[in-house]
Amino acid sequence: MAREVTLSGCAASAQAVKLARVDVICSYPIRPYTAAMMELAKMVAEGELDAEFIHGEGEHAQLSVVYGASAAGARTFTGSSGVGVTYAMEVYSPISGARLPVQMMIADRALDPPGDFGSEHTDAMSCRDQGWMMGWAETPQEAFDNHLINYRIGEDKRVMLPQFVCQDGYFVSHIPGKVLLPEQAQVDEFLPAYDPGPHVLDPKHPVSHGPQIRPDQGAIMDLQRAEAFLDLPKVIEEAVDSYNRIVGRSYSPFIEEYLTDGADIVFFVQGGHAATARHAVRHLRDQGVKAGLVKLRFVRPFPSRQLSEVLSKFKAVGVVETSTSYGGSMRGGNLLPEVRAALYDAPERPLTTSFMAGLGGDVVPLKDFYWMARILSSAIKAGRVGKTVYWAGLEEVSA
Amino acid sequence: MTPANPIPQEPSMPATVKTQTLPLLKKLSQIPKEDYYVPGHRTCAGCGPALQYKLVAKAAGPNTIFIGPTGCMYVANASYLCTPYAVPWIHAQITNGGAVASGIEAAFQVLLRKGKRTGELPNIIVMAGDGGATDIGLQAMSALMYRGHDALFICYDNESYANTGIQTSPTTPYGGNTTFTPPGKAIPEGKRLFPKDPPQLVIGGHPAVKYVATASIAYPIDLINKVRKGLNQKGPAFLHIHAPCPKGWKFDESKTVEIAKLAVETGMWNLYEWIDGEYKHRERGKELKPVGEYLKLQRRFDHLKPEHIAKLQAFVNARQKAPGVPVKVPVPMPREA
Repeated sequence: MAREVTLSGCAASAQAVKLARVDVICSYPIRPYTAAMMELAKMVAEGELDAEFIHGEGEHAQLSVVYGASAAGARTFTGSSGVGVTYAMEVYSPISGARLPVQMMIADRALDPPGDFGSEHTDAMSCRDQGWMMGWAETPQEAFDNHLINYRIGEDKRVMLPQFVCQDGYFVSHIPGKVLLPEQAQVDEFLPAYDPGPHVLDPKHPVSHGPQIRPDQGAIMDLQRAEAFLDLPKVIEEAVDSYNRIVGRSYSPFIEEYLTDGADIVFFVQGGHAATARHAVRHLRDQGVKAGLVKLRFVRPFPSRQLSEVLSKFKAVGVVETSTSYGGSMRGGNLLPEVRAALYDAPERPLTTSFMAGLGGDVVPLKDFYWMARILSSAIKAGRVGKTVYWAGLEEVSA
Repeated sequence: MTPANPIPQEPSMPATVKTQTLPLLKKLSQIPKEDYYVPGHRTCAGCGPALQYKLVAKAAGPNTIFIGPTGCMYVANASYLCTPYAVPWIHAQITNGGAVASGIEAAFQVLLRKGKRTGELPNIIVMAGDGGATDIGLQAMSALMYRGHDALFICYDNESYANTGIQTSPTTPYGGNTTFTPPGKAIPEGKRLFPKDPPQLVIGGHPAVKYVATASIAYPIDLINKVRKGLNQKGPAFLHIHAPCPKGWKFDESKTVEIAKLAVETGMWNLYEWIDGEYKHRERGKELKPVGEYLKLQRRFDHLKPEHIAKLQAFVNARQKAPGVPVKVPVPMPREA
């Protein structure tokens, strides 16, 4: 039977890696993700997990080690945070271009300067266009489940793509929560052994991986990677459905709605701050404000169609931005441009704006959500949004 | 449903999966006829690195995986649908040959242990240029050596970033004219620095390494035997192979082997082995030719004045006392006038 335990996000991730029977793990210390590697190191030391645990000489090496190991047919795991994520940048595209279903955990962290341990999505979001799947967890439970779901999707022969499995540093990675651990047999049923296919490195069947191409040979390979992402939604739906059935969960694949029935305004959130947003929405409802929450589970592939259908139901959408895009089209973060693009062809578009919140790992308290709700309600009254970005806690807005 | 990936009940056994003993050669006629580096590349005429690749692949045989960090032996070799490798080959970034090889070796170890693969651990060979081995790729190379992976790391040394248009690398000799060290009125000798010493970087601080050697394309039997010694022993090994570059060093492409031989005969290249702490030298006892004989065949040294050549000669003479063992030489600091 499934077991209920109390685990931090990092500890939950380590449990998922163990149950996924990962073959090769490559570590390098950086807070906060490193707690997951510490757990895995113990499991290997105790003989509970039969895996090669390699001490990488840096994040760039971590990704390089799992690139080689995956090409040789191993199921692999690595991870990082903050500047570690960006230090490894060179290797992300070679991995996705080689169609190697490597999995990397990111417990996100603000980039320097100045040195800051706090959670912020900018590290991972800077890598969102490298051909990897990417999505955030709100709780240790969701982090645990996402690791297993992502292995299954990434290793699917229709996909063969690497996955960034993200959780907010500290808010999720280090705050313990209840986690239901499935039985090994359930996981084995859901997640078959990794089959690397015919191009695995093997002296019995020599192949050349990653040769040079001419410029005119490049576009077709880009198209193939793009098409893999087009095929992804169907595979994600199948995998989430299968996981829900075998392990007993009720995830929706791409977008979770909370108290959105009859809502006028919604917060659009990815990751751990959704937990606070839920409370805010409940309190706002108690006060008669028709508020709701829409939570994003995958930012790559971005669920444009599903999001357009869902968000079209509301009058105003407030995108909570936990990453920066300096000089970007919305002058704020990375999600509002995606949301607006997804809504562009919708017959009924809601008003949309964004709130920079939780940057540097700051908490986003309930009062900030109430402040956002006032701005969104005013926008509905005015029939327009004042601007595309507001900085929570740093500006006064008369609502 | 059967478990996808059963964990053994017993604590996992250390994998001893390499039993090969590649025989050592005594004469040219014993060199294997089979090639695993075959036509399909488009290297320059007289390419030293291509010649050493052919010899290394012959020495290693079919149970081999090459890791090819970016460099000449990637860009000039591995064209899509037309690569020259008859054994598995995988591209690595110029930065990470050692790390990619580490991952491949680890994967084979665990997959063989778990019964997911069968057969012997293959020969895992990183074929890195001097940049990929001693400059931008140094960290990954060092980590492979430190962690004790069963792999052979080769630095084929053509003494420059040749593929990108002959820029200086850490192994470009003092006085070399490269596109980043052009001689001029203010800097008459071109390159002012003396080179890094790649085998010493490995020997001096990687306790897992038991075999390090230098080799040259001018001595093919010696080269093949050193590759095989590196592969026969368990754990990491390092080979530094001198591979002249007609384009970068500016000499006639018919003279590649002659130049390589002169490098040894003048002491500009020393052949030796380091086996678990012991040095073994070869080609000793002969009077060295003056370095000028080596320099005069290469237009990259055309600009050198007698005082520069004397500096190089002094460096070579100092190294001859014990080739391979570091000696104190009058190395100028980069910013010295």
